[in-house]
Amino acid sequence: MGTMHVHPARLGSLGGRPSNGTWNSFDLQLAFFALALAVVGLLMAYTSSGDSPLEAGSLFTRGLMWLAIAIVMFTVAAAVDYRWLKTLAWPVYLVNLALLVLTLVVGSGVGGVSRWVTIGPLQFQFSELAKILMAVVLANYLAGRQGQLKSLATTLGAFLLVMPALALVLIQPDLGTSLVFGAILFGSLFLSGAGLRWLLIAAAGVLAMVPVAWTYILEDYQKRRLISFLDPSADPQGSGYQLIQSQIAVGSGGVFGKGLTNGSQTQLDYLPVSATDFVGATLAEELGFVGGVVLLLLFGALLWRILVVGWRSRDAFGLAFAAAIASMLLFQLMVNFGMVLGMMPVTGIPLPFVTHGGASLTSYAIGLGILQSVAMRQGRPAW
Amino acid sequence: MIGGSLGEPARQPRLWPRFVVFALIIALVVTALGLRLFTLQIVSGGYYAGLARENRVRLQPVRAPRGLIFDRAGRQLVDNVATFAIKARPADLPFSERPAVVDRLATLLDMRPADITEALDRAAANRFELANVARDVPEEVALIIREEHLQLPGIEVTVEPRRQYPYGDLVAHVLGFTGAVTADDLARVGSLGYLQDDTIGKQGVEATFEETLRGEYGVEQVEVDARGEAIRLLRTLQPAEPGDSLELTIDVDVQRDAETAMRWAMDLIGLERGVVMAMNPQTGEILAMVSLPSYDNNLFSRGISTADYQELLNAPGAPLRNHAIADHAPPGSTYKLVTGTGGLQDGVLTDRTILQTRAYLSIGSTRYWDWNRQGFGPLDIYDGFGRSSNTFFFQVARRLGIDRLAYWGSQFGFGERTGIDLPGEVRGMLPTNEWKMRLMNEPVYPGEVYQAGIGQGYDSFPPIQTLNAYAALANGGKLFKPQIVRRILSPVGEVVEEIEPELIRELDVDDSTLRIMRRAARRVVTIGQTYNLVDLPIVVAGKTGTAQFGVRDAKGRLPHHSWFVGFVPKDPWKTRRDPDGVEAVSGTDSELAVLAFAYDSRTTGNAATEIVKYFLQLHYDLDVDLRQDWILERDNFYGQ
Repeated sequence: MGTMHVHPARLGSLGGRPSNGTWNSFDLQLAFFALALAVVGLLMAYTSSGDSPLEAGSLFTRGLMWLAIAIVMFTVAAAVDYRWLKTLAWPVYLVNLALLVLTLVVGSGVGGVSRWVTIGPLQFQFSELAKILMAVVLANYLAGRQGQLKSLATTLGAFLLVMPALALVLIQPDLGTSLVFGAILFGSLFLSGAGLRWLLIAAAGVLAMVPVAWTYILEDYQKRRLISFLDPSADPQGSGYQLIQSQIAVGSGGVFGKGLTNGSQTQLDYLPVSATDFVGATLAEELGFVGGVVLLLLFGALLWRILVVGWRSRDAFGLAFAAAIASMLLFQLMVNFGMVLGMMPVTGIPLPFVTHGGASLTSYAIGLGILQSVAMRQGRPAW
Repeated sequence: MIGGSLGEPARQPRLWPRFVVFALIIALVVTALGLRLFTLQIVSGGYYAGLARENRVRLQPVRAPRGLIFDRAGRQLVDNVATFAIKARPADLPFSERPAVVDRLATLLDMRPADITEALDRAAANRFELANVARDVPEEVALIIREEHLQLPGIEVTVEPRRQYPYGDLVAHVLGFTGAVTADDLARVGSLGYLQDDTIGKQGVEATFEETLRGEYGVEQVEVDARGEAIRLLRTLQPAEPGDSLELTIDVDVQRDAETAMRWAMDLIGLERGVVMAMNPQTGEILAMVSLPSYDNNLFSRGISTADYQELLNAPGAPLRNHAIADHAPPGSTYKLVTGTGGLQDGVLTDRTILQTRAYLSIGSTRYWDWNRQGFGPLDIYDGFGRSSNTFFFQVARRLGIDRLAYWGSQFGFGERTGIDLPGEVRGMLPTNEWKMRLMNEPVYPGEVYQAGIGQGYDSFPPIQTLNAYAALANGGKLFKPQIVRRILSPVGEVVEEIEPELIRELDVDDSTLRIMRRAARRVVTIGQTYNLVDLPIVVAGKTGTAQFGVRDAKGRLPHHSWFVGFVPKDPWKTRRDPDGVEAVSGTDSELAVLAFAYDSRTTGNAATEIVKYFLQLHYDLDVDLRQDWILERDNFYGQ
């Protein structure tokens, strides 16, 4: 891909004060909202831990451990001058693809899929990290296309850049995460100023792919999920089961919820994967409408801060990267929580920060850390 | 290609509308999700709360303790004892682990793997409900299975009551037994709330009084998890009501006397099967009902293995069958009661009519012999009955004709079920012209009328009918439904229901006729037809019967059953005023009728008479022992 430019990093900027004092420009709101969401996730890990949440190895203690790791990663990523990433863009891209190929080769999962790679005692889902790495590579590419952003070549180039990773995730198979790659692609192209014409044509092309994908790409279980989304009652004990039980859990939560660890639907195992994909249902059942609205507001505020960091960014990389992270977060929120509320079909997309899982949390920590690094190095007063 | 070099203001000027659009999309998504949350939790919250409650609350049956069974003296004939049972929830047993689990269980339970597999598959339709694998498992085995539950998925150890019958085979046919419900049972009673792993009465009064004994299962609300496991009891909606208890008409003492008498003869002769019954003619209450060989009904309540069950099914003498009601045989000369009563009642003869008896009567070239092959000369009804002369009753039967004979037979209840509250009763066979035309398209021939007149030929009835007919004779013409249960008692022993005697019919027979027949029955004994039965210090009236059946042996002799059926007056003791007991049997106050039936006895004399003699000795606790073993020697005094 000859369109990619490698820029020399500015030496001496690591941890230095290139502008008006790096740590003074730390975006406290960004960090606070993210941390608040992670704490909500910790609460959910606690309520899903059964009788002994404080025992070693419980969801709660593992969640604590991952939160600590995530905070360290966030701090490190924020401390590093994001401009170094421009130098490293190509290696990052190769590492990205390598991780996804590795997942396919040695990965394990449930029911014939390979999504996790086991390293020692830990299972790691590299496709989560791949989303962030993809955002880095894509932002770098778009930053290098200044002045030609509206051209077909830019849009086409971005597609070609994302497609290999997207395809590798799709054949895991993980339809949901591959769609997240699509969201990253469209979001960063849109906010960076790519030609609307080309974006619309591309969107139309994607829509035209749907029948092809249905016939040749989607696995049977994925089709069943989509069908049962359209009519959950068609097979209430089968694929429609989760959708129905999830709505019962959410609905029965009422205004204030049943209280932490008191959700009958989730605690009595009516709702499968209540700690992971359907964690939103657990939250809505136990913390009620109030808890659900707080969660949505936290996400809204975090998204707003990410947009602000992007808007304030003086260089195109920061803008495109913020756009990618915002798109990814918004898309996951919409698909996951929409699924919990019965508005979206069942996919395996986690709810960022809240779903129990180290890969998702640390990946977002790295992403927000890079964003923080962007925010800290613009030399403008905060809004 | 222009590189976005560092520090350089790279932003295109008109990006802000796109940021606005993106911000609007964020607002739209968050608002849409919030609205949906509002709809689900606030607008429809109550509806979903209801669904969630339905989800986790399950109604669970509570088993009711089964009612007990007592004899008429209050002896407890069954007990509910707590035992360990091994059950399986097939849905929780993965197919891949099934062979290992079945093998392990087979070793622990000492069962055939095939039996365990069959138990697992029996409830194929309800894989989420418990199915019985083994009952009455020793405690140490149950504990091992409980400890190995991780290696035995889907297998559960439960404590459940089992019926224990302390008297075992003594009253097995009357009590019957309970067993695991089968698919057939469930199809029949499923709507009554029977569970997959329930027990149900299978035989005897356990089966006929199932509803009484079972009680009412209760219902409780429990909270369950998604696997259907009960987490805790929420509340009891309807408490279980224990079943009511039965008080039988059977007296275990009388039953044991009857059994002792029968066993003595069986052991001496080598009989394969026999029946002894005692009844109170005033009420139709059965005091004893012994059918041998018997079986231990505890085997069934413990859960009999297929092999043991097959063995019992094929055992000689068919121990599982209650021969008193479930098998029929020609009644032989005991049926002369019907012929005599009909003759007197239809005016064929009076008690003063004398009929000439001979060695045989001929129809065409066929000779119908009297049993002694000589005849007895001129006889009246008393001596004709007393000597059991065939040629006497041939003549009476000929004048009655087959249909009148059948009418009088059916008056006494022959050929119809008595309606006794035990399962498996048969009707027997009472030939009529119409019956034979329908079956063989020909009328009953005169020779067949002769045979019918002495209870041979087509006639064949279960022993209960013969006993009941003589009970009606003894009580002056009231045919009762034989009664097996006297009372229904509440769990604390209060009388819930007295079961009154149920009259089938008042016989269409004059009292005088019945009195003649009772005196004739006494003549049977006094004349010596029953050897030394007359020497008992008690008054007995009755009739012997010898019924040929089957195929002739090498010497052309037919095997035969022997019968004796009779009754004893209320005051059984002989008096000086009435040394022959004729006055005593003229009354209708008898409270004891007895029947013995020795299947395929082939003895020198009438084995059944000896059995009744011994029973009476035991029952009245007599000092004398008039039994004559020689009568029970295997021979064939009858026919050629």
